[in-house]
Amino acid sequence: MSGLLDAPLAGQKRALRWGMVCAGGAALAAIGLLGVAGWFLVGAGVAGLAGPLAVAGFNYLLPSAAIRAAAITRTAGRYGERMLGHRAALFALAELRAQLFARVAQGALNGRDPGRSGAMAARFGRDVDLLEDAAIRRVARVGGWTGGLAGLAMVGLLGWGAAMVMALGMAAMRLVSHWLAARLPALQAQVAQAHAAAQADYADMAGPAADIAVYDLAPQLAAALESSDMARAEHALARAEAVITASQTILASVIVALIAWSAQGGAPMLALGLLAAMAALEIWAGLAAHDARARQVRQAEARLQAMESAQTPHPPALTSNPALHIAGRDFAPGARILLSGPSGIGKTRLLETLAGLREDAPQVLRVDGIDPRTLGLAGLRGTFAVMTQDAPLIAGSLADNLALARPGIDRAAMERALWVACAQDIVPLDQWLGGDGARLSGGQRRRVALARVLLAGRPWLLLDEPSEGLDRETEALLCQRLKQWLDQTGTGLVLVSHRPAMAQLAAETVNSAFRPDAANRQ
Amino acid sequence: MVNPLSLARPRPDPASSLWWITDTVGAIVAAVGLAWVIAGATAGHITGFAPFVLLAGGIIRALAQSQAHHSGITAAIRAQTRWQAILLPALLPTRLMRGKLVGEDMHLAIEAPVATRGYVARYLPLRLASGVSPLLVMLAAWPASHVAAAIMLATLAPFILGMVLAGTAAARRAQAQHQALTRLSGLFIDRLRALPTILAFGAEERMTRHLGISARDAAQRTLSVLAVAFASGAILEFFAALSVALVAVYCGFSLLGLLPFPAPERLDLGRAFFVLALAPEFYLGLRRLAAAYHEKQTGEAALAAMDEALGILPPPLPAIAPPRQWTGCGVVLTHREGARIGPLDWDWRGPGLHVVTGPTGSGKSSLLLALIGQVAVSEGQILADDGTFLPGSANPSIGWAGQAVALLPGTLRDNLAMGKADDGAMLAILNRMGLDAMLAARGGLDMVIDHRGSGLSGGERRRIGLARAILSGRSILLLDEPTADLDPATAETIRNLLAEIAQSRMVIAATHDADLIAQAATQCPIDREIAR
Repeated sequence: MSGLLDAPLAGQKRALRWGMVCAGGAALAAIGLLGVAGWFLVGAGVAGLAGPLAVAGFNYLLPSAAIRAAAITRTAGRYGERMLGHRAALFALAELRAQLFARVAQGALNGRDPGRSGAMAARFGRDVDLLEDAAIRRVARVGGWTGGLAGLAMVGLLGWGAAMVMALGMAAMRLVSHWLAARLPALQAQVAQAHAAAQADYADMAGPAADIAVYDLAPQLAAALESSDMARAEHALARAEAVITASQTILASVIVALIAWSAQGGAPMLALGLLAAMAALEIWAGLAAHDARARQVRQAEARLQAMESAQTPHPPALTSNPALHIAGRDFAPGARILLSGPSGIGKTRLLETLAGLREDAPQVLRVDGIDPRTLGLAGLRGTFAVMTQDAPLIAGSLADNLALARPGIDRAAMERALWVACAQDIVPLDQWLGGDGARLSGGQRRRVALARVLLAGRPWLLLDEPSEGLDRETEALLCQRLKQWLDQTGTGLVLVSHRPAMAQLAAETVNSAFRPDAANRQ
Repeated sequence: MVNPLSLARPRPDPASSLWWITDTVGAIVAAVGLAWVIAGATAGHITGFAPFVLLAGGIIRALAQSQAHHSGITAAIRAQTRWQAILLPALLPTRLMRGKLVGEDMHLAIEAPVATRGYVARYLPLRLASGVSPLLVMLAAWPASHVAAAIMLATLAPFILGMVLAGTAAARRAQAQHQALTRLSGLFIDRLRALPTILAFGAEERMTRHLGISARDAAQRTLSVLAVAFASGAILEFFAALSVALVAVYCGFSLLGLLPFPAPERLDLGRAFFVLALAPEFYLGLRRLAAAYHEKQTGEAALAAMDEALGILPPPLPAIAPPRQWTGCGVVLTHREGARIGPLDWDWRGPGLHVVTGPTGSGKSSLLLALIGQVAVSEGQILADDGTFLPGSANPSIGWAGQAVALLPGTLRDNLAMGKADDGAMLAILNRMGLDAMLAARGGLDMVIDHRGSGLSGGERRRIGLARAILSGRSILLLDEPTADLDPATAETIRNLLAEIAQSRMVIAATHDADLIAQAATQCPIDREIAR
């Protein structure tokens, strides 16, 4: 049923299979318990009325043993069904979460905007939870079908009429449930949408807490977040679900009443048939819960499938140490270039376009003779180690952040890079930094990010305002150490900085102002 | 003192409970019908009326179940709306104070109230009903067979004991599981946010592996919570099945006249069948309750998490008049993570420009944040006009421009007009800050801004934040690096603007811009040596 789930669930085959066996066993035992108890009781009553001879001939050992056995089997079966079903679902979905992250990453690498992080969190939370529920229901559904068919077989003992009533009634229950469930998806989609929107809005709004506190923005932001749509949609959904439940219970009692009318055969068999039918129909009605969820699951699955990335394009391979061409000028590997110009002229845009992070710089750019806009991030990330202005860090330790640069960095290399970036004394390597380096000031964050790009070992270093937030003294030290590092490694540098001290690192300057005439001459 | 912001404990919705009890009444009616049908069949003919009683019982149950579901959900939505109205205004301005990630707060404000849904909608009404329903079933069985009623009651005692034992163990684990899930959700959000960086370094595969490990760990924890919940469910199943089996065996042997003890009562088949049909109903309410047990754990853990967050909020402060003199003596700041800054001394007299200086990372922003109550002051004293100053109490008189800018959904005018400045004043300030070209291109003050500030560059957002602080008309300005990230010409304009404003207001800027420092009346240096 569910394409996304199949692969992760394949790893949980054992738990899944045994869970289904338990579910079927529990359903059979539940029906057997009531059916046999009813038959035994009426049989005993009839024998008791018929006199001592009949009593002596009545085999009471077998049914009473069967009743006890059914009681124990039902208990064990239900426990096994729940435990194994959940085990399979939880671990399969943990697998799926990681796979989805890999897909989002691949998609973003191919140039797709991954969307707002709040909305993505909704996908990873709510939608994946829905699939988890669907996985658990795969096990429960086996119990539903086993119970229904067993009930039908036992009612069959009451004759063709009763069996027909039961079969038609069970079909009617499924049809009505399907028909009523058709109203649900629209309502469920509304609820899911309202929920995802609330999450995304909150994630976007909650960042600058100081502003919110000082200007007392919280009431306005809270009002913007409050949504009566959600409550309305949820009410409508609850009513529709309640109607489904009610329809199943009413149909079940109509079926039992009709069986009572149409049954043939003796009283003991009637008792067996009626009680078995009641137990079976209760289990059968449980299938309606699957209908109610089925479309919701399909919607969630479709949303998650939409995250699947297109075929990975294979960018042309670049040489290991390519030359650059920026706005009319050529630079050999190892060159040190400053992008100059006043605030707002587009220096950052130029740098980030070169790195493959965006595509909107108007200048002519070439990496190894190829336009970086056609190479994309996937093609360029082996060439450039780029430090952007916002210098994002991940929640984790300082070492976690540095290890991002490339696999297999040892602690000595980390300490060396931190020293070059004048960040050697910020915090110990194993110190937890909190989300986006919450513990650190802006300047500290930049220096950690700088140490990280130094560790990446790429032939070109792209730095956007690396010394912003530093005092003059530290800046001078950083400049000196960075120069030494560049000399030693022969790494090329493309720098954006409006600070004169840092600008000295560069040997050549490119004016970032875009002149269309210069571009036309190309 | 009771924290004014603590959440009221949810009470069971009486309507929903009553409908669940009505369901039990329907079950008793259906049992009467069933016994009547069987007794009729034994006697040779089924009375025409008997199946109708069976049907009537079913209809009562259908109605009762659907109403119970619907009124439960209604109550849950009501509770959720009430909690969010308390949570959102409390969480949004205090995130830094509490040292939380945005993802963690989002989980608390949006996910946690939703996580109480099943608890309020199902568990609580069922719990109330489950105290009444078994009693009702037993009372119905009593006239038919005292012994069967006694059997039902006797199996209840060991069952309750088992539930209590399992429940205590489960509660402890549920708490740990809730924390694990919150952390996992925060981790996914964090990695998605940092995705461009992760991709730029080609680290996506390593990240995926790491996230897989975290997700499996969370799954393991969840499973251990469920193991306990399912065990208590199994105890219940066992006693429910046992009760049916015992009633069936007792009634059967009694009808056969084969009881190993003197018969305490005379049973006929109709009565026997009636109590047999009632036996599963005796435990039905409790079985439903156990099925909702997971919802109880989730709901209570979510409630506890919300309560905990509200519990550590400081009480609201009475606002004071804007201080004319603001001094600090030996002030030491402490971050939640334990970093200490200080001791610091300053003496600011308004109007005038005062700067907080120091090397990067020394804690300049932290001092500004401490003045608005977002970072704790652990030692020393801050005085406002010779009275003790409670950090945060002057917020209504403070115009703030920090490194990140919160924008309201609406127009640029809405965002700047909080100080009720007119269009002319707004345009004058924005033009001076070099934003005129951007304004002209995007519709002037009517330019639509969403809360993400999309389309604005970081520098533009910061200058809008600065303009808002100035236009707010508030008599104190706290500015964090007002001239950073700007080209020399724009920075010069901002410095001149600040010098003008400092004629009439107290302007406090954290900066390492030497030219701005030169304009200042006082300087509060934060040395690297003391920022430990």
